[in-house]
Amino acid sequence: MNIAQSIRRTGFPRLFVHAAVLVIAILWLLPTLGILVSSLRDKDQITVSGWWTAFSGSAQTEAVRLGDASSQKQDGTGFVIAGSLFDGGKTVTGFGTRVQEPNAYPAGEAVDIGNGETLKILGDGTYEYRKATSFEGDRGKRVYLTVMTPPAFTLDNYRTVVNAEGIGKAFINSLTVTIPATIIPILIAAFAAYALAWMEFPGRAILIAVVVGLIVVPLQMSLIPLLKMYNQIGMFFGVPSKTYAGIWLAHTAFGMPLAIYLLRNYIAGLPKEIIESARVDGATDFEIFIKIVLPLSFPALASFAIFQFLWVWNDLLIAMVFLGTAKDQLVLTGALNALLGSRGGNWEILTASAFITILVPLFVFFALQRYLVRGLLAGSVKGG
Amino acid sequence: MAGQIVSAVGIMIAGVFACAAYYWLSDRLLNMALPVRGRDIVTASRNLNRRSVIRPWLFLGPALLLLAIYLVYPVIATLILSFYDRAGTTFVGLDNYRWALFDREFRQSIFNNVLWLAVVPAACTFLGLVIAVLTDRIWWGNIAKSIVFMPMAISFVGASVIWKFIYEYRGTGTQIGLLNAVVTFFGGDPQVWIALPFWNNFALMVILIWIQTGFAMVILSAALRGIPEETIEAAVIDGANGWQIFWKIMVPQIWGTIAVVWTTITILVLKVFDIVLTMTNGQWDTMVLANLMFDWMFRGGGDSGRAAVIALVIMAAVTPIMVWNIRQANRENGGH
Amino acid sequence: MKIYLCAGAAALALLATTASAAELKFKPGEDKRLNWASYEDFKKAHGDLKGQTLNIFGPWRGDDEVLFQSVLAYFADATGINVKYASSENYEQQIVIDTQAGSPPDIAILPQPGLYADLAAKGFLVPLGDETAKWVKDNYGAGESWVGYGTYKGKDGASAYFAFPYKADLKSMVWYVPENFEEAGYKVPETMEDLFKLSDQIVKDGSTPWCIGLGSGGATGWPATDWVEDLMLRLNTPETYDKWVSNEIKFNDPKVVAAIEEFGKFAKNGKYVDGGVAAVASTDFRDSPKGLFGIPPKCYMHRQASFVPSFFPEGTKLGTDADFFYLPTYASKPELGKPVLGAGTLVSLTKDTKPARAFLEFLKTPIAHEVWMAQSSFLTPYKAAKPEAYANDTMRREGEILTTATSFRFDGSDLMPGKIGAGAFWTGMVDYVGGKSGEAVATDIQKAWDGLK
Repeated sequence: MNIAQSIRRTGFPRLFVHAAVLVIAILWLLPTLGILVSSLRDKDQITVSGWWTAFSGSAQTEAVRLGDASSQKQDGTGFVIAGSLFDGGKTVTGFGTRVQEPNAYPAGEAVDIGNGETLKILGDGTYEYRKATSFEGDRGKRVYLTVMTPPAFTLDNYRTVVNAEGIGKAFINSLTVTIPATIIPILIAAFAAYALAWMEFPGRAILIAVVVGLIVVPLQMSLIPLLKMYNQIGMFFGVPSKTYAGIWLAHTAFGMPLAIYLLRNYIAGLPKEIIESARVDGATDFEIFIKIVLPLSFPALASFAIFQFLWVWNDLLIAMVFLGTAKDQLVLTGALNALLGSRGGNWEILTASAFITILVPLFVFFALQRYLVRGLLAGSVKGG
Repeated sequence: MAGQIVSAVGIMIAGVFACAAYYWLSDRLLNMALPVRGRDIVTASRNLNRRSVIRPWLFLGPALLLLAIYLVYPVIATLILSFYDRAGTTFVGLDNYRWALFDREFRQSIFNNVLWLAVVPAACTFLGLVIAVLTDRIWWGNIAKSIVFMPMAISFVGASVIWKFIYEYRGTGTQIGLLNAVVTFFGGDPQVWIALPFWNNFALMVILIWIQTGFAMVILSAALRGIPEETIEAAVIDGANGWQIFWKIMVPQIWGTIAVVWTTITILVLKVFDIVLTMTNGQWDTMVLANLMFDWMFRGGGDSGRAAVIALVIMAAVTPIMVWNIRQANRENGGH
Repeated sequence: MKIYLCAGAAALALLATTASAAELKFKPGEDKRLNWASYEDFKKAHGDLKGQTLNIFGPWRGDDEVLFQSVLAYFADATGINVKYASSENYEQQIVIDTQAGSPPDIAILPQPGLYADLAAKGFLVPLGDETAKWVKDNYGAGESWVGYGTYKGKDGASAYFAFPYKADLKSMVWYVPENFEEAGYKVPETMEDLFKLSDQIVKDGSTPWCIGLGSGGATGWPATDWVEDLMLRLNTPETYDKWVSNEIKFNDPKVVAAIEEFGKFAKNGKYVDGGVAAVASTDFRDSPKGLFGIPPKCYMHRQASFVPSFFPEGTKLGTDADFFYLPTYASKPELGKPVLGAGTLVSLTKDTKPARAFLEFLKTPIAHEVWMAQSSFLTPYKAAKPEAYANDTMRREGEILTTATSFRFDGSDLMPGKIGAGAFWTGMVDYVGGKSGEAVATDIQKAWDGLK
């Protein structure tokens, strides 16, 4: 029997719980849903109408150009330009020749638009533009249509992003950076956290406080001194200064204070009896750590792993500074960033790439969620 | 491409392995250097003692080394820079600190940061806790949890794009921002949300709350599962209702974890940067310290002295949390 | 530590791939609009650099990057140099970090002379030499002005020429849809007075004359600084403008306040701007021009620099679907002539290497300009680049304004100290549109300027 069942027995109105969670889930999902829908829309549409309107067909006004004078044919005594304004899928309901009255005439009727010209536009977009004398000028006449458009979604935005040059390589670069930069700090921090939680030595409390204090060091301040150091080390050993090892260490160090803090708090809360009885049995600290503390700390390790993974995966600044900006060194965030124009604001690419970058972290979350559940078993050992 | 994957996997394994090898080898070395077995009891116990003096530092060594190089060293460099002029060449004493005292933008940032600190950690922790408790009790709880967690996986820039679509304002015609569409649907006047001084701070905070609640939820949910069932069963037998169980049994049991979550988010808030940068860049009175520092650091060559002062203020703001943690650690020490 | 470094180095060596030479967009010698002779001459003179590497760091991303790569392909083809181009959203920050830490690229390309002045003062730039300065002066339209915008004080305190202009933007432009004007019977105004009359006429006809959007995420407010600069040049002499930019004339001088208030006549007139005054500061500058193409149009005019067509709806043909006119001058001030406000990207040497010098020489060939001109979104003041090479008439007209300019003024906000030109000035303009008076805003900006050391 678990907690959930026991509370259920108390007669808490279950319907209320379901409703409350449903409301929260919807509130949390709405923004993401918005961007998912936007990423599937035509890029000119994204900034014109709300994403929630994308599901229903809508009446839109568009401007189109008829064929120019060179496409005219003589038809009896008059001249005619004919053709089709678009290829299927949409229905014209009305049209106009002045921008202030884009819906002046219904579709399908031949109307006199002045100058001795008549224009007929059918629902399917075919048109006939007639005049008694020949047409002149080198640009086609502009007309305005009211069209019923069925809901239309496109994968074009994703195609642009996925097919961009170097995305595959950037993806692998990202994994190469992220996986060790997630595992190494967990390992190092777990040992340190154990030492800070269960080993006796002078200055322990101060050390804990300093580690906590270091979480807040602003990254931007440390970039220049660190890169300077990297360059000097690189020159001294004659190796490149921007390497994977360099960025792993940087991410490891930047994630370290939070990792130690979170893990220490969890490990310090493990039942004292287990550890002390192991000590009495003659186990060394190393053995206690590996055999008892590590398995029991899985929920905390998994929580931090998720956190660190996301932080490294979504990072752009550190990758740019410590790994370099050249094409073959770019991580995924960098490669996607390079797709945006110099002046930014390509919503269609931003929305699609937001969804592509989210896939891997979500996979990680689901993978580690099992371990979070396993933490339930580990927790049952815990005496409080 | 295949070659790259192979080599990438290779160096990944090598890196992780080297790291694990350090702990294993250093422990073996320590045991070999200070043997216990086969020695007389005096030597053995002296060696045992020595081991327990050295071992914490073997465990802590790599972490402390990394922290010293990557965080402590820059902090010291920052401290020194704060006494120098914009190019970091001429000593100017306390000029930069004096500047900070009287700068309007600086005061604005402090005010906003305090606002953020008061709202975001509390909101995230409370919501995270409520969601963790509620979702534990329904069959589709894991789905709901995943939904709440999802924003964590989105980069800050991505998140800002998402919220731009929510706060978007159109003067005429149909609103494409969700919030204004809802407001106009109920007959209200659309607002330029991110440009309403004071209230726009909350518009930005909502973004961070939206992102970070998932974090609070995951950690608190793990802690809730650690509560022994007998405790709750006992309360149920005593006739406590769900509300009482939540406040009187569950919350006190995981109080330590709540404090950790609160602290972590507080610290994140002090560093909040990307959201403000992409949404407003501190305009319309939304400046926060981290952005002000960034501004002085990089805009048009910047002023490293003033940026350093702001960085130090951010670091100083964490002192109460450090004090609290020393107390906590000392109390544990006493308990052991 | 060492293990990591070695592993990393090995990894890099394994992972590094050589960039294959991109295909040349126009086959040398074929397209007669382009100056192939200059290309062949350059090729002959720089054949000895094969296999060397050149790192370039610039501001262009997305489509612009593709275009710039197409130019680089010619350089790589002619010299055999392996060119690596990189950019970043945070390029400004990146270049500050990289130069200060001692790992700069060979060539940096930036649009801010203000930032260059700072880098030069710290000794991170290599002087290009008087010869290059003279070359720019002789071969660029308003060459004297361009040289001035590339000349800064070095670490030793002596002025030298550091930054070579490549790719320019023209600011003083009003975009409109010709057919909307024709249908409503509006004429392109010749004077500022007419522009106001036209705006009033449009209001009287029940429409909105202007789309103004200052939104730009972290840089919100900058489009307004362009307005004020344009109006400064139309109300005052270029010399006054220079003094304003260098703060010899205070920001709250009546002349500057007058220019701000002049901008207010457009942006703070609820009848003039689409969406009302409240929408001005929050509308994104990239979305703002789309109002021109609304049906019915949300506005009839949009003042923005020459880059803006990339934000027009897909398929918009320049010259047919959209066109521009020069932001007119006041008939009451004929003595000021026709000032040109613009901006541009400047190329600097952050390392003095042979490939970098060769690249600088390459930029002096017409072909380096024409290849980009012939595609899109590139203007140059270089007189020897053939105007025929421009991809369309609109660009050609823009280019002519640049090459024939007698006095050219650079975007003032890019010249001011970063904290002003990319800070207080932006914020001030947002506050101004938000309701503060021009006087108060200008005083705030001046205070911020005084606060700098």
